[in-house]
Amino acid sequence: MDEHIEFLKSGPLSLVKRWGAKWSLWPVHLVTACCGVELAHAYACGYDGERLGSLNYGICRQTNLIIVEGAITRKMAKVLRITWEQMPDPKFVIVMGACGLNGGLFWNGYHMVKPSDVVPVDYFIPGCPPTPEALLRGIRALQDKIMTGETNSTAKFSKADLSSIIEIPEEIKQKRVPTPPHSIAKAPVIQIDGQREIEWDEGANLIQTLKKDLEGLYISIEMTDLNRICLKTTPEKTPEIAERLKFTFDHVKSVNVVDVPNENKFIIEYVVSSYGVKDLMPVLLSIITEIPRDNPRHPSLAKHWPSADYMEREMHEFFGVWFEDNPWMGRNFLLSPDTPEYPLRKDFKLPRETYVLRGDSR
Amino acid sequence: MVTIFGLTISEIMNIMVKEGVSIPLIQPLIDFLLKIPIIQYVVALILWKPVFAVLILPGLGGLMISLLFIIWFERKLTARIQWRMGPLEVSRPIAGLMQPMADGMRYLFQEVIVHRGAHKPYFVQLPILAFIPILLPIVFIPAGSIYGINSPYSLIITVALLALIPVTIIAIGWASNSKFAYIGSVREAFMYFAYEIPFMIMVLGMIIIYGTADMATIVEKQGIWGAFLNPFAFLGILITTAMATSRLPFEIAEADQEIAFGPFVEYSGILFGLVMTLAYEKMYIMGLIVSVLFLGGGGGPAIPLLGDLSPAIWLFIKALAVMMVMAFLRSIYPRYRLDQALRIGWNSLISLSLLSLVVAVIVRFMGGV
Repeated sequence: MDEHIEFLKSGPLSLVKRWGAKWSLWPVHLVTACCGVELAHAYACGYDGERLGSLNYGICRQTNLIIVEGAITRKMAKVLRITWEQMPDPKFVIVMGACGLNGGLFWNGYHMVKPSDVVPVDYFIPGCPPTPEALLRGIRALQDKIMTGETNSTAKFSKADLSSIIEIPEEIKQKRVPTPPHSIAKAPVIQIDGQREIEWDEGANLIQTLKKDLEGLYISIEMTDLNRICLKTTPEKTPEIAERLKFTFDHVKSVNVVDVPNENKFIIEYVVSSYGVKDLMPVLLSIITEIPRDNPRHPSLAKHWPSADYMEREMHEFFGVWFEDNPWMGRNFLLSPDTPEYPLRKDFKLPRETYVLRGDSR
Repeated sequence: MVTIFGLTISEIMNIMVKEGVSIPLIQPLIDFLLKIPIIQYVVALILWKPVFAVLILPGLGGLMISLLFIIWFERKLTARIQWRMGPLEVSRPIAGLMQPMADGMRYLFQEVIVHRGAHKPYFVQLPILAFIPILLPIVFIPAGSIYGINSPYSLIITVALLALIPVTIIAIGWASNSKFAYIGSVREAFMYFAYEIPFMIMVLGMIIIYGTADMATIVEKQGIWGAFLNPFAFLGILITTAMATSRLPFEIAEADQEIAFGPFVEYSGILFGLVMTLAYEKMYIMGLIVSVLFLGGGGGPAIPLLGDLSPAIWLFIKALAVMMVMAFLRSIYPRYRLDQALRIGWNSLISLSLLSLVVAVIVRFMGGV
């Protein structure tokens, strides 16, 4: 029995307190995912949650119930805690959906937090997403909890003995939680400049021009597909290439990193294209370099192509590649500061969850 | 011999009983209670007309009943317009009428958070201070023969006291020391000037028509309802009532979807309960003024069984009807932007009020009432 229920059950005015709290559960809804749609549905004309005296609110100070709708990431966990702290006592928490229970769709994600680790949860509503009926059932269950002070599951299962009808294999009987992938393929084939024979005359001309312009700066320039050109080079030559190309190929479409742990290298790919020159608009030029995996340093091209800045920062926090001269290195941009380091590296492992079973269910 | 203001207790009792509210329906019960030693003083005091006007009808009791009713009515009406049921399960046989009561109980036993940034003394006392300009006008509003103070300037005093309510709301926003509260306070101040000037001009027009600012005389003079004498002023005052009580087309100061209840954003528990009902209480007072000025006040078919109470109940019903119209606005209108509302206030409403002033002068010279 938590302190809020204890407060409601104490004193000579206990009945009035509980009656008021029961019929006036105003939820502040923390919409982090698609369950918010179901909540809207539950309070709209079809199901009408207001029948139960529950009025949907967007503000936390005046409410006494928070409905967490969906996945809570590491960044949203802070928001959830702040919102919960701002609510006046006595307050209650309902968590909707599979994501809030145990990650759901995002199970085993490096960015996921369980709401039950952040706030004390009164009721979980399972489902992906839960139906409006299920949400209203959760609110009814919370009302019962306020009146009786006991948390009871609203689902009652009767036990059926199937052993006389079918034979259940032993491995199905032993329920196991699925394990995350924990092995790396020995030698995956990473092919980035597969050549193809294509009828593309302008491309051939373009490659000739590029070869003339970038004399001595490239290892190879190949045509990989229609409108696709692959330029292989070494990391230290990329700023010079960017300097020469930036007036024709004027922006970076994407920065990619491929992790190849068995060859101990990262493949860095800058995809550049043009908005200014009409003939070059459909052409995607990939500038590909390789850097060692144990010392992943690469010159930043954000000075030449400003649009590369955000993508370099993103790749930095996902793979730990240090883009020199980019002033934002060493800080997290999209991910929460407490995310475990470099979650998209192939050898990244989350700490495995441990399940403690009660004595009788072992 | 104990004397109060030079009068003995039995003399005071005589005055109170003589000026008491006579209700034939429960007269035997009153007579019975007046014979019991201690209770007789209490009963006589409550039934003394000035005290009755302030405490029961149209005063505090009427205010509370109208508050509970109108909040339930507003939620229920909005729900019905949106094809929902509205509050229901809390008390099924009376269609969820207990819902505001449950909300109030919940507020009462909730934690009151006084946040670190607040100006604490003002933050806590202003919601309670705001009741002074709410409750004082009731003393001057007559319901037939039941009134607190009879004054030739009662209408002017009432309007002046009403104009104090936005000041307390702005002070509440300032004491909250939050950016949403600040935005809300500034919006409230803008709206205050936009509706208050047309409102006062229109009240002035009605004073010209009736030739007096005494509300009791105004009610007596209304052979034809004021709404028919000066329909422009009636329309204008309905619109200003909607603006003054932040009903939906003009719910700009406390727009909950934009600025999270504006000045009231930091309030929780019973203090929020107090500040949230401010607008409804103001609506009740405005409803009473509209009834007195335009709808014949306490006039209506007299119910012999209720005696003195009959005009008070008519006044209460009329005020409630005005409040119900205001509640209806909420569920059918979207919200204006601040600049649109200010344009309405300073253009259309001022024009309407000047027009009503002209009509008032014409009616006055046609012979008046």
